[in-house]
Amino acid sequence: MLKTNPPDLAPPSPPQPLRTSAFVVYATLALLALTIPQSLVGWLQDKNSSELQEIMLKGANVLQRVSQQTGIAIPYQRARDFFLAATGKTDD
Amino acid sequence: MLFPTIDFALFFAVVFPITWLLNGYNTWKKCFLVAASYFFYAFWRLDFTLLLFASSLGNYLMALALGRLKDGAARRTLFWAAIAGNLGLLGYFKYYNFFVASFVNALEAIGFKVEIGFIEVALPIAISFVTFHALSYIIDVYRGVLKPTTSLLDILFYISFFPHLIAGPIVRANKFLAQTVGPRDPANIRLGQSIFLILGGLFKKVIIANYLSTNFVDDIFRDPAANSSLDLIFGMYGYSLLIYCDFSAYTDIAIGVANLLGYEFPQNFNYPYRAISVQDFWRRWHMSLSSWLRDYLYIPLGGSRFGTLATFRNIMITMMLGGLWHGASWNFLLWGGLHGAALVIERAFGQTGQADAVRRSPAATALRWFVTFQFVSVAWVFFRASSTDTWLAYFSTLFSGANWSTSITPFVAVIFVLGALSHIIPPRWFETWEARYDRASLPVKILVPFVVIFLISVAAPNGIAPFIYFQF
Repeated sequence: MLKTNPPDLAPPSPPQPLRTSAFVVYATLALLALTIPQSLVGWLQDKNSSELQEIMLKGANVLQRVSQQTGIAIPYQRARDFFLAATGKTDD
Repeated sequence: MLFPTIDFALFFAVVFPITWLLNGYNTWKKCFLVAASYFFYAFWRLDFTLLLFASSLGNYLMALALGRLKDGAARRTLFWAAIAGNLGLLGYFKYYNFFVASFVNALEAIGFKVEIGFIEVALPIAISFVTFHALSYIIDVYRGVLKPTTSLLDILFYISFFPHLIAGPIVRANKFLAQTVGPRDPANIRLGQSIFLILGGLFKKVIIANYLSTNFVDDIFRDPAANSSLDLIFGMYGYSLLIYCDFSAYTDIAIGVANLLGYEFPQNFNYPYRAISVQDFWRRWHMSLSSWLRDYLYIPLGGSRFGTLATFRNIMITMMLGGLWHGASWNFLLWGGLHGAALVIERAFGQTGQADAVRRSPAATALRWFVTFQFVSVAWVFFRASSTDTWLAYFSTLFSGANWSTSITPFVAVIFVLGALSHIIPPRWFETWEARYDRASLPVKILVPFVVIFLISVAAPNGIAPFIYFQF
């Protein structure tokens, strides 16, 4: 999917590319953590037990509860269920 | 650490701001990026970071010595010692058991029985890429193209920089070291292009490559004789799409990630299955490896300067060694040999594509594309087969033509179509989308990657298989 030499195609940079890039990176990660919190919880559960892991896991569980109670997690769950039903696949 | 994982997302979330915060303190920034890269590598195995360090240190010292010596026997000897050291390391870990087994088998075939010990050691991940980066540096210094750097930190950084460390693209030393001399300009970040490379890479790896592999191709190659001829044909095309989507995904993400950190990597793929000759294919596939082989192997062997037969010999040697670079197996050698033979035939008949294509009719071009794609796809069977028996069974069953049923499900058919789109969508579409993205407001800039990754997560299989090129 790559094109010709990158410099030839370089579009005009946004005025503050670094600040914009930082916003994009962190906001995307935050939105993903909020809308798919179970992946963060599952990922942390798979890690070796340590003090840091337990603290992070508690935080992720809180995030998951908030996400579920406010309904933010619902679109992902519905979309995932629909995908699994449509393709006949399972989450196992 | 795999790119499409939470591990990497968090790793990058830490590395990205610290890199730019240290941008005004170049030495500290490089120290930090080396530490981050070693951490990235140690995620797989800690002890082989020592090997990475030893290789970097050895090449740094050798290059310094090469830079100080005047042309003569001593310099030549040192150069060949450096080459032997790098290839020896690669040979020990990657090829020792293969050559020993081949030697023992050959002797047994003529009635001799010998016992030579095998080494039991894990193959260090990415050792082929590390070696080729190191060789690029040593050869350029020997040729006088590049002055040896006095900074060990720069060499540690060049060889270990995490975006290219595991599976390329192979970045030339002179191109990379030029980027290490001072702070990087944030204006060089091409956000739209980087984001699209990363998103496209995630889609190709997580959706297309993973599903093609686990839902179809792996089963076909596990026991080719148990499949129909039609499925074996689809398996061949499926693997063509799979290996492209898998490998180009890695390098696309690597290029995008490196650019977000302010560094430039070379392009590695350019619609390879649109090639209209095998030579054209190698101008589009794993471009950083094919140009490396051309500049550091084919041309030093004599290239096309010493007559037709010598040219053919040089092509065959280059392609067979290029095949063997991928792994210690006769199948890789055979795969490289097939491509070499095709390049020789094209050269013999003056059919090398590209420049002469404009003079041909669309039908002739289409025919050339068709023949090239069939050849490349057939050759991938040798590349993918786990043994000689596997590809023998594959082709004998395929050509038996006994069974023309198919086990392809509608879901796998959709994945095939999505994979094919990677070559059907014209490049200008991506350029237009990137330009629009760069002009969009900040909320849209955030929403695009969020929505795409969200949708990829919805359709993602559980667990991500390692990238195919990790083993090389």
